Amino acid sequence: MERLLGVWVAALSEEAPDGSSWRAFAALVEALGALSPFVEPVRLGLCVIPVRGPSRFFGGEDAVLDAVAQTVRDVTGCEPSLGVADGLFCAELAARSSRVVPAGRTEAFRRAQPLDALGRPDLSATCARLGIRRLGEFADLDPARVLGRFDAGVAHAHRVARGELAELDGQRDLRLLEHLARVRGQVLERAEQGGFFGESAAGDERASTAAHRVRRRLGPEGVVVATLRPGRVPEDRAALVPWGAPRSMASDDAPWPGRVAPAPASTLARPVAVELRDANGAPLRVSARGILSGEPATLWFSHRIRRDVAWHAGPWPSLERWWAHARPRAHVQLVLTSGEAVLLMAQSQRWWLVGIYD
Amino acid sequence: MAGVTATRYSYEHMFAFSPSRPDLPADLVARLRPVSLSHARRLPLEEPWSALVPGAALRRGWSVVVQSGSGLGGLSVALGLLTGASRAGNWVAVVGVDDPGVVAMADLGLDLRRVLFVPRPRGAWAEAVGDLLGGVDLIVVRPPGRCSPSTARRLVDRVRERGAVLVVLTEERSWPVPADLSLAITQTRWATTSRLEARYVTLRVSGRGRASRVAEHVVVLPNRAGRAEAGD
Repeated sequence: MERLLGVWVAALSEEAPDGSSWRAFAALVEALGALSPFVEPVRLGLCVIPVRGPSRFFGGEDAVLDAVAQTVRDVTGCEPSLGVADGLFCAELAARSSRVVPAGRTEAFRRAQPLDALGRPDLSATCARLGIRRLGEFADLDPARVLGRFDAGVAHAHRVARGELAELDGQRDLRLLEHLARVRGQVLERAEQGGFFGESAAGDERASTAAHRVRRRLGPEGVVVATLRPGRVPEDRAALVPWGAPRSMASDDAPWPGRVAPAPASTLARPVAVELRDANGAPLRVSARGILSGEPATLWFSHRIRRDVAWHAGPWPSLERWWAHARPRAHVQLVLTSGEAVLLMAQSQRWWLVGIYD
Repeated sequence: MAGVTATRYSYEHMFAFSPSRPDLPADLVARLRPVSLSHARRLPLEEPWSALVPGAALRRGWSVVVQSGSGLGGLSVALGLLTGASRAGNWVAVVGVDDPGVVAMADLGLDLRRVLFVPRPRGAWAEAVGDLLGGVDLIVVRPPGRCSPSTARRLVDRVRERGAVLVVLTEERSWPVPADLSLAITQTRWATTSRLEARYVTLRVSGRGRASRVAEHVVVLPNRAGRAEAGD
């Protein structure tokens, strides 16, 4: 699950009769967008910003929190509640309780939450009679028994409690972007209305129905759609969002100098830690000037699994992410003697597998 | 130029993580849109794929198998087969591909506005494909491991019944049902300069019936622009 910074502004979470909370929220989303291109409004009063990768590579996480808090104060005059955790469900809970859950601790955080967090008072009441008060206790129930006893909505909530799904059904306002667009006078398209000629054609209706079927089977994150956003490296440019969630149709056709090409057919949502070593087995590093410390000879996936490197290119340094300036990244392309080509990313003296040219 | 030659090679353990068109006036669009588009029996293929397939198009109801060692271009071939139909306005879906390379897909020529992804269907991949039938015209699926003959048979029958095209992406010999069209990657070679320049993929193409003759083709995938082109 993606590590998310949740931005909760309670004062803006209720619709004001004069529409002022919508206007303030729209202004906030726009202002946050100047800080990070990845801001995602979720509901009136709630935004999330992905803080990608393990937190130790984002020494700037505190800096992000400060900048976001200041922006909220400047734009809305309200005090925000900020938190960080994995997945939308926990990110919102973390934000509401102003907690930065350390990387790897989201499960414990989630398990300690009261059952009310699932937003089903009937479930909370039933479970309270059984002595079940925390999400962790509820999560430990056998899914088959939960499904047998409750409706599909609870079964879904159970999967959220177990950490199998990142968000509750209904946690997102599916019409939010439209609403914001009206407020801002902009035109955005809903993902499920991506009509070829800007209209919803019969084929789109059929696809929409099919996507609903899959969504019912697999949950809200079961079906996703993609858009491109500006950026230089493939893993930054791809945005995958749950189907039905709003997405901006902003096109990304501006040429970016130094773009890493070609793009790999498989881009890892969660990069995998690897090691790149020279012929003597010494780990390779990328210097501050963007120079490799030696010739890559082997790529280590683990102590047992390694592949010989037939060819390499790069590193190509990239510095475009605003909070990552202290931690520059560089990309390297490799062809392995076994024939595969892969894309690696170096950051903070570590190597990550980010793409496979499948 | 340096090149690397590889035969089929499987490394699932290594990746066990597992991994413009101008605007037209609305009235003109209404007149131009063929009424029978969604029911046409053929789905268009673009170059270089059209040269590989008998009839230069995919036929509705077909199941197509793309065989490739993991990481050797199978995914690009499967996605490449979708580009013609995607650009012609058809919806496509990609099931069981954990980490789709969205940028590469756009470069290949897929219209992302009409692509549904079901990245991690876990045990329910066949059911997810079933759910999508009738809603999308082409489905790429990468089954997570071996597929039982009965599941494969049921799926292939449903695809034929619903007039979709199923593209199954598998490692060697793990799809138990004969395919209407089969493309096997037998060799890949990267051409390089100061970056990855192009990959030459050798495909062994065979069909059924009249089209059962086996032919070898070389496709450049991706080329410098991230697209596919004939390499012969």
